[in-house]
Amino acid sequence: MPYLELKNVSKHFGRLAAVEEVNLQVGKGEILGIVGPNGSGKTTLINLISGYYRPTKGTIYFNGKKISGLRPDKIAELGIIRTFQSNVLYEGTTVVESMLISSYQQYSTNNWQSFLETKAWKDDNEKAVGRVIELVKLLDLLNDTFLPAEGLSHGYQRMLGIAMAMIANPQVLLLDEPTTGMNHEEAMFVVDKIKLLSEQGVTVILIEHNMKVLLNVATRVVCLSFGNKIADGIPEEVMNEKEVIEAYLGTEIL
Amino acid sequence: MRYFFKTIHLIDYKNIVPKTVIGLFIILILLIPVFTRNVVTLSTLIMTGIWAVAAMGFTLVLRTGQFSLGQSAFMALGGYASAILTAQMGLPFWPSFLVSGLVSGLIALLVGMVVLRVGGIYFSIITLALGEIVRIIALQWEPLTRGSRGIIASAPPPIILGGHELVNFNASLAPYFYFMICLVAVTGLVFWRIGESRLGRTFAGTALNPVLAEHQGIYLMKYRVIAFTVAGVFTGYAGALYTHFLQVITPMVFGLWQSIQIMIMSIVGGIGSLVGGPIVGSILLYNLGEYLSRLDTPGLQSFLFGSVVVIVVMFLPQGAGLVNLWERFWNKVVWREEEYEPDEPED
Ligand SMILES: Nc1ncnc2c1ncn2[C@@H]1O[C@H](COP(=O)(O)OP(=O)(O)OP(=O)(O)O)[C@@H](O)[C@H]1O
Ligand SMILES: [Mg+2]
Repeated sequence: MPYLELKNVSKHFGRLAAVEEVNLQVGKGEILGIVGPNGSGKTTLINLISGYYRPTKGTIYFNGKKISGLRPDKIAELGIIRTFQSNVLYEGTTVVESMLISSYQQYSTNNWQSFLETKAWKDDNEKAVGRVIELVKLLDLLNDTFLPAEGLSHGYQRMLGIAMAMIANPQVLLLDEPTTGMNHEEAMFVVDKIKLLSEQGVTVILIEHNMKVLLNVATRVVCLSFGNKIADGIPEEVMNEKEVIEAYLGTEIL
Repeated sequence: MRYFFKTIHLIDYKNIVPKTVIGLFIILILLIPVFTRNVVTLSTLIMTGIWAVAAMGFTLVLRTGQFSLGQSAFMALGGYASAILTAQMGLPFWPSFLVSGLVSGLIALLVGMVVLRVGGIYFSIITLALGEIVRIIALQWEPLTRGSRGIIASAPPPIILGGHELVNFNASLAPYFYFMICLVAVTGLVFWRIGESRLGRTFAGTALNPVLAEHQGIYLMKYRVIAFTVAGVFTGYAGALYTHFLQVITPMVFGLWQSIQIMIMSIVGGIGSLVGGPIVGSILLYNLGEYLSRLDTPGLQSFLFGSVVVIVVMFLPQGAGLVNLWERFWNKVVWREEEYEPDEPED
């Protein structure tokens, strides 16, 4: 049984088929790269898995359970957490506050215990703060901990997005172009963290345009073109396939 | 001597000064009925407290990113519930009063479950309509509400302890005053805890970025409904106290203007704070409104009222209200802290 499975999944916007009849199986612990020219349906695919859109046709399974049709918060609760292509933040909060809001869903204590400030809640809270500090250090956000989220530079906002996803304890992490607008060093820093997560058993699906990053981190690559899956396999092979090159060339000519 | 100066700097004046002022202010307020039994002073304070509770409710709902334009409907619901239970059905006061907030909260829960799935502008429109619907029902359901004649609600019964009359609501306004203080204190305590706890932070998350919050596992509707219901309960109590204080409720008492007033009090006071902001806002605006209504230049009242609102909203942007004045004064004048300026994005 595959860990995450898409069966004949399509998403149509009116007459436009953003994702068309995609079949995809992802194993636990894999790092799957998704490539494809602009507008080929990569983000839509993540939106489908995370529940932002419902598939027009087809079904998505996670751990043998059907998840297509569930609300995004239900899917997140199951451990599928995504980041966004643009910097999506809790504007007006600081870095720690953003991370705490994200971490609240992981507490074992409930809202009443928090309201009454019981011992169990305080213990839980202490653990969460510990986790926040750990992640803030891991993602090099330590100097910015008390800065407002929207005041960070672009690269650090991307880092904060990843940190907020990580604190939600993902089983499957969906990253939508995590390294856009980053220089080589920063991108490699992110690659390191992705590898670290993978070692901890987290399944990662990432959309990536940067070939260096992709070849470095992905264990498998899927290529989309006009919503269709046109290639699926080992990174080096997929990137040399005729169809993939043509798909990319096609867009460059346009 | 040098040691003395060193320690003096360790005292956190920024926090101690407002805390002392607030503490003294509370003691002073609690002692007011000892110094004066003046009907005008006391009833002004009682009304201010009632509106403060309603404004807290609005702020709580706003904390989840939802803009309610019908908070006065819940005052009407609480007021009518209590008046109907006591005057029309002959039930004792205290149980009726306790039920009134629950009735209002139940309606909020039901309405919330229907409209808060979508939220946003739909919620504002529906709450706006709710105010009118409640008014129409109060007007039309004559057997229960006596229509436009309204219901005469009696004062709470005297509290008798060991054969000795301890509190008499008909003797003076002081008992009402302390009743109001209790309501404000309980509401304030509950709202303060909500703000400090996970609930309040989650509320903020749903408001600051609903899409992100949802993808982090927060069920938006659940938290919006919780906030709206809690606000409904306490706003209902405010309405019930209002009704038993004025001893009458008619369909005309709570309408759109009252909802707008609640909203303005909350915003002018400062929506960043669930308790302090609404209290400051209602103290300022209720009293300003009362003062202006005594001027007899027509039009001037609304003009001045509007001006104050515009000035506050213009000079204290981004959800900061009068409660934030101290902090701004401290940071800019005393401490001379630079305002934080965000970096330009790199690309
Ligand atoms: N909500 C929507 N309504 C209508 N069309 C949409 C919507 N979302 C996406 N599309 C269209 O679906 C197609 C796929 O979009 P998608 O965002 O998935 O592309 P992408 O592969 O992520 O591209 P990029 O590399 O630019 O991020 C595009 O043609 C886009 O215009
Ligand atoms: Mg995209």
